[in-house]
Amino acid sequence: MNIPFVYAGGQEQTLKIGLVGCGGRGTGAADNVLDSSENVQILALADMFPDKIEKTRKVLKAKDHPGVKIQDDFCFAGWDAYKKILESGIDYVMLCQPPGFRPQHFTAAIEAGKHVFFEKPVAVDPVGVRKVIEMGEKAKAKNLGVIPGTQSRHTPRIKETVQRIHDGQIGEIVSGRIMFNTGYLWEYPRKEGMSDMEWQIRNWYYFDWLSGDHIVEQHVHQHDATDWVMQAHPVQATAVGGRQMRTEELYGNIFDHFCVDYEYPKGVHVMSMCRQWKGVPGEVCAIFTGTKGTAYIHGPKSGTITGEKPWEFKPGPKDVGPSGKEINGQIFEHRDLIASIRAGKPLNEARRIAETSLTSILGREAAYTGKTIRYDDLMKSDLDLSPKKYEFGPNEARPVRRPGSV
Amino acid sequence: MSDPISRRNFVKTGATALAASTSLACSAPLVHVAGQEQTIKIGLVGCGGRGTGAAENCLNSSDNVQIVALGDMFPDRIKGSQRTLSKLPGYKVNDDNVFTGWDAYKKVVDSAADLVLFATPPGFRPIHFAYAVEKGKHSFLEKPCGVDPVGVRKVIETGKKAAAKKLAVVAGTQYRHQTSFVETMKRIHDGQIGEITGGRAYYNAGTLWARTRTEKMTEMEWQLRMWIYYDWLSGDQPVEQHIHTIDVTDWAMGARPVKCVATGGRQVRVEPEFGNVYDHFTMDFEYPGGKHVMSMCRQMANVDNHVGAYFTGTKGEADVYKAEIKGEKPWKFEGEISIAKAYVQEHADLIASIRNGKPLNEAEHVAHSTLTAILGREAAYTGKSLNWADMLKSDLDLSPPKYEFGENPVRPVPKPGTERA
Repeated sequence: MNIPFVYAGGQEQTLKIGLVGCGGRGTGAADNVLDSSENVQILALADMFPDKIEKTRKVLKAKDHPGVKIQDDFCFAGWDAYKKILESGIDYVMLCQPPGFRPQHFTAAIEAGKHVFFEKPVAVDPVGVRKVIEMGEKAKAKNLGVIPGTQSRHTPRIKETVQRIHDGQIGEIVSGRIMFNTGYLWEYPRKEGMSDMEWQIRNWYYFDWLSGDHIVEQHVHQHDATDWVMQAHPVQATAVGGRQMRTEELYGNIFDHFCVDYEYPKGVHVMSMCRQWKGVPGEVCAIFTGTKGTAYIHGPKSGTITGEKPWEFKPGPKDVGPSGKEINGQIFEHRDLIASIRAGKPLNEARRIAETSLTSILGREAAYTGKTIRYDDLMKSDLDLSPKKYEFGPNEARPVRRPGSV
Repeated sequence: MSDPISRRNFVKTGATALAASTSLACSAPLVHVAGQEQTIKIGLVGCGGRGTGAAENCLNSSDNVQIVALGDMFPDRIKGSQRTLSKLPGYKVNDDNVFTGWDAYKKVVDSAADLVLFATPPGFRPIHFAYAVEKGKHSFLEKPCGVDPVGVRKVIETGKKAAAKKLAVVAGTQYRHQTSFVETMKRIHDGQIGEITGGRAYYNAGTLWARTRTEKMTEMEWQLRMWIYYDWLSGDQPVEQHIHTIDVTDWAMGARPVKCVATGGRQVRVEPEFGNVYDHFTMDFEYPGGKHVMSMCRQMANVDNHVGAYFTGTKGEADVYKAEIKGEKPWKFEGEISIAKAYVQEHADLIASIRNGKPLNEAEHVAHSTLTAILGREAAYTGKSLNWADMLKSDLDLSPPKYEFGENPVRPVPKPGTERA
């Protein structure tokens, strides 16, 4: 029987951590958590594939941090790896496999009584979103900490800007513009003899059931910022999107560009554009305009307000590291979660990130279908992208969507 | 390879018209003469749906207007137009004033017409307009007035010549002549929504028509018949259709955009018969002062459609198509909101301006609006952030190597981030 880890009688217990999902972001999260707090140890690793685990082990070993304590028999591979790691004596699990697995993994972690850091997004369909909300409530009842990897929420520069927006520094918000225009990412060409399922998981970014498409997987950061700034979810969305550059089979069944017109309460619209096109300039931003000014959340002017009451964020002593550079939100998010656990008042952001994941899914589905879709309707939807069987073997992906056809 | 019958007809009618035109070469611009209302004779170039509609609108717009000449590439299109127009009292087109083929536009300009309505695919507009002004004719130019910056510059240049010759030029951006739009814009510009902060514009429409290819059709004929699906003929949806909402946007913002970033693609109409255009776009236009307008358009079946333009300000929001302002000083247009009337009004204004000797000249305005649409299209086609001022200087020229029936290889469907042939 595991009991939630708490700060006991003034003495700081060592926090034992396990990582599920040894990709780039998972390995990064492990690195971040070690840098975030005192007395933390990474004890165990899990992934579908042993080669991924080995790679992460090497990276963490090279970090030469006293908290890296991974023994051979604390490395778990295969479909049940996420269950085994929960039985390995850890207190805090970081769920970083492709997002399609997140609701299942989160459920197991909460049932096993672990504190959870889970990467964004936390679901790829409404069924998964509802599962995460339900388990988030269970986590609350069990006094477990839960936070997602939407690091802006823990970045001082951004926190203060949003606070100022909420305090009225740009007046009433009239519109917003968010973008994640970027280049190509990695890809994993299929090897001979590889089953559909193995190839899809190795090449997970390009399959809707695993990544949720790039609008959900990547642009969710700006959707989260928007829901935060607006203090609401969108009412509805209208969108266009398609697959114009990455048309090869290698790129599975996702789009390479989207543009969503989100309508928030009081008729405020936010334009959300994202694309993964190579050879063209990128732009990442989240900018909100009000009756008295404009606030810059993401992008080169992040932490700035222009207009009647101009302001620029100046980092305080707590916001910078030894090098003088601002501390990354990806470190702060673990620091905040661990501090909240140690204080016996664990943060629980499960509902919030589940609801924001649905904002991203809303934009995707509006583009996939060509329909104007209401957030509340989608929240009730039976859309479930999960595969028939979780096992290696055949697994037919849905065809690339053509709006207007079922 | 070309259709022998239509070619023969074209040569014959061409020769007749050439003989006729010499006697009319010195026709002077028509003006109001000493209180007496002269009959205005019009010619139509481009007998498709919009051309026929424009001619009908023009005849209904004012007294003493007659249509005297018709031109189109194809005889069958002329017949379709005649079925509608011949029922109107102003229809005075003799058989020898009906012209087909590549030079039909010259024959119409050279006919007795004082005013020529140009409604062929927009790729031809700069050439046709230049000829009309050279020959001293008033022009009505359907929107858009070009498909590339080279064409846009030609229209601007021709527009200046028209001004020097006191020739009228009105463009088919009919909202500029629609009372509900004019009244709403006046209020936006008078500050009724405060300082404009940005806006959004939509042309989310359904699919359009398609033709069937016959065996004897050359590639060039096929492209002309399916012109909306070829970039060099239609300019693609932002230019051909969404131009209305783009023009409204430039009008509301009181400026041309500084630059544009866009996405777009071809997700539904992917079959080769749909030429080389996209089926959806979204443009993020940036206007002076860092103000942004989201501009979205698509042509897809079985999806939710929406056409409109909305502008937000520090004191309210304007819905231009519904002629309504919400916010601190709410207002709603009381009259009838009628696009049908606007289609007629633009001709009434054009003809009145000819008669009162103060010819309207909208050439530069519609050329600039066309350029805004081209900017949006090219931002999507290339994936680049493009400046309006640079686009105006660009050498991009989509015209085909030869204007004749035969082969005409088209550019491939654009893939952003790659150079197009």
